[in-house]
Amino acid sequence: MPDQGTLEIRNVFKRFEVAGRTVEALSGIDLSVAPGEFVSVVGASGCGKSTLLRLIVGLDRDYDGEILLDGRRLAGPTLDRAIVFQEHRLFPWLRVEDNVALGLLKSALPAPEKRKLVREHLELVGLSAFAGAYPAQLSGGMSQRVAIARALVNRPDILLLDEPFGALDALTRAYLQAELRRIVRSEGITAVLVTHDVEEAIFLGDRIVVMHPRPGRIAEILPVDAASGQDRASTSFAHLRETVLTGLGAGHPALPGRLAA
Amino acid sequence: MSAVTIIPPAGEAAATTEPKRRWNGLILPAVLILLWEGASQSGLVDDRLLPSLGTVAGRGWSELADGRLAVDIASSLARDVSGFAIGSALGIPVGLALGLSRTLDRFVGPTFNAAKQIAVFAWIPLISVWFGVGEAAKIAFIALAAFTPVVVNTWAGARSVPRTLGEVADVLALSRWQRLTRLEIPSALPSIFVGLQLGLIYSWLATVGAEYFMTIGPGIGGLMTEGREHFHMDLVILGVLLLGGIGLGLNKLAALMETSALRWKRY
Amino acid sequence: MTNLDLDRVAFEAAVAERYRLSGRRFGARAGAGVAKRAGTIAAALIFPASLFLVWQVASLFDLVPAQILPDPRLVLATFREFYDTGDLAFHARISLLRVLQGFALGAGAGLLLGIAMGLSRRVREFVEPLFLALAQVPALGWIPLVMLLVGIDEALKVIIIAKAALIPVTINTSRGILNVPRSYREVGEVLTFGRWQTLTRILAPASVPTVFTGIRYGLTNAWLALVAVELLASSEGLGYLMVWGRQLFQLDLVIMAMIVVGVIGFLLDWSLGLVERRLQRWEAAGS
Repeated sequence: MPDQGTLEIRNVFKRFEVAGRTVEALSGIDLSVAPGEFVSVVGASGCGKSTLLRLIVGLDRDYDGEILLDGRRLAGPTLDRAIVFQEHRLFPWLRVEDNVALGLLKSALPAPEKRKLVREHLELVGLSAFAGAYPAQLSGGMSQRVAIARALVNRPDILLLDEPFGALDALTRAYLQAELRRIVRSEGITAVLVTHDVEEAIFLGDRIVVMHPRPGRIAEILPVDAASGQDRASTSFAHLRETVLTGLGAGHPALPGRLAA
Repeated sequence: MSAVTIIPPAGEAAATTEPKRRWNGLILPAVLILLWEGASQSGLVDDRLLPSLGTVAGRGWSELADGRLAVDIASSLARDVSGFAIGSALGIPVGLALGLSRTLDRFVGPTFNAAKQIAVFAWIPLISVWFGVGEAAKIAFIALAAFTPVVVNTWAGARSVPRTLGEVADVLALSRWQRLTRLEIPSALPSIFVGLQLGLIYSWLATVGAEYFMTIGPGIGGLMTEGREHFHMDLVILGVLLLGGIGLGLNKLAALMETSALRWKRY
Repeated sequence: MTNLDLDRVAFEAAVAERYRLSGRRFGARAGAGVAKRAGTIAAALIFPASLFLVWQVASLFDLVPAQILPDPRLVLATFREFYDTGDLAFHARISLLRVLQGFALGAGAGLLLGIAMGLSRRVREFVEPLFLALAQVPALGWIPLVMLLVGIDEALKVIIIAKAALIPVTINTSRGILNVPRSYREVGEVLTFGRWQTLTRILAPASVPTVFTGIRYGLTNAWLALVAVELLASSEGLGYLMVWGRQLFQLDLVIMAMIVVGVIGFLLDWSLGLVERRLQRWEAAGS
């Protein structure tokens, strides 16, 4: 459906100064994401996958290379890119509906229109009944759903997800993965998910980007055909999982490096 | 100097007091009052030093009847509230500015921290030279006493706005004003209330001090000074009771305001 | 740091850069640290230096009457005179002695009372309400009463100062003990600790930070109360110097005494702050 949401990452490098030494967090990242595509990025801790997300969303602007959204170079956060963090990061002093409405603060829409959007998105994540609750009254899974509504309410071109279900229990996680797939499909939105959960990556992604650490780089990119991604119990799913795990293992030494002296 | 007496919340053990046992708290005061009354009635102690309860109550009643007591209480309260209002109205913006601006924090913060080391009563001689010994000087002093804790706590609250939430504001591209009203002020609010409560305690202390040192005009401090000069112990004890009672009332009021403003913290 | 999580480092580095925090956590080199420190100190001095300059210029050109704000050089000269004659040391010593006596008394009693209230539910039930009620009366409020009972000599000052220190020490001590997390006590139960072991191995170390915070507030309060009683009733001490200067309209003396009060107050608080940081080292390491 959308003609917008083409993400181009060209030859991106990112370096940090740690204890007086330079560490290469990302090295020559090349990736393009088509409109409406769902890309999962998997990798062990320290492969720079979250760093990549922070560059795309614009929280970190200090890198070499090019990151283009619909052909425009990005300069700082704008509302066409939304992110869901691992922690829900809701404002504890705002009710659920006001937290979602935060995403529309910068929007020029008239107030009734905004209210309607907030209502629709709460419905989308199944939390209409909790519009007036404070974040502290919600469970972890519910909070994360509010965070997803907050990210989507402004109808961004691209949705970035930084281990969004990493802090949830297994049952809630499986439920929310299904929910997320339903939501993203129905909105037809472009999405990039960062995770270390291989099954999650296969279940949600159209393509899987496997990253290796030190320096953070793309090892391989695997397509997920629609049939095998649907059913976790299928042999094709299991086969793909083995492939990804092997891909991760090859660049993943048994003992994580000895960067810190 | 800001002596910040934050009372830590009572823990789980304290919260388990059964209602019936609460009455135990009245036993000790009752015993003390009985001893006091007995000593005073029996003449064991000079009743000029320890007037009986009846005498104190009688003094309270006669002061109330001729309208003087009401004037004293009203004057002290009016002074306290005006000074507190001025002090906190200045203190909150100053604290926010120090907490949110890295530049101000670096350039003005240390000076403020140095100046607050001067025990607040040490300002009285200077303030009485600058403002005289009338109402203006008293209110200026009370405002100063409230100002310091309000600034200190607002400052601390504003500088510890969670960075993770700051990033949410970045990602949502909030304007400076939206950031201030949706994120920074609400996030600092619990700290600001701690500051206001302390400010209230300090301004009440300063009200008493101002009335001792700058003795023109009615007030509870004046009443007690008079009681001391004429050796009217009943008047002095009446003053002590009033100071405690009103201080308690003001604190309860502040706590009430805090709970209603910080509803989101209740869950 | 055995397992360096690059994402986490990346996150923190990015955050630190965006909020321009000091790089000390990330192991900035010592030389850079010294330069940064010097910069911080320089920045801190600019504002007071310019205030001082305005004050000096205003005095030079008689923009403010000397009865309102004396020439800073006069304040300095007064300081030198009081310093050379030993008068300053005399008055400061008296004030310090008073505050230490009152503080020792008040904090000692506060510790005992606080421990009793923290450990024994019965003591807490019987004593705490009365204690909290009496704590509502500002320290100054007791002055006329104590004056009538013990006169205006040293006893008055020590009692008022002790009362000022007593309240925060008692409250923090009892709350510090009460707020030791139940989970810690349960560890003790599982390890079948006796009363003494529970006290020395669990309750005491876990409550020390809160208790010490109370002690620090107590000292600050004691210094505050000292200035107040000396202003009201004294013929020696720093507070008296201020009253005296005020009566003679010698504002240079008043301001000098104020500064000395501030410096001593700072040093008292700072020295306890040093001890406090040592006591709470394990807290910083955990966060």
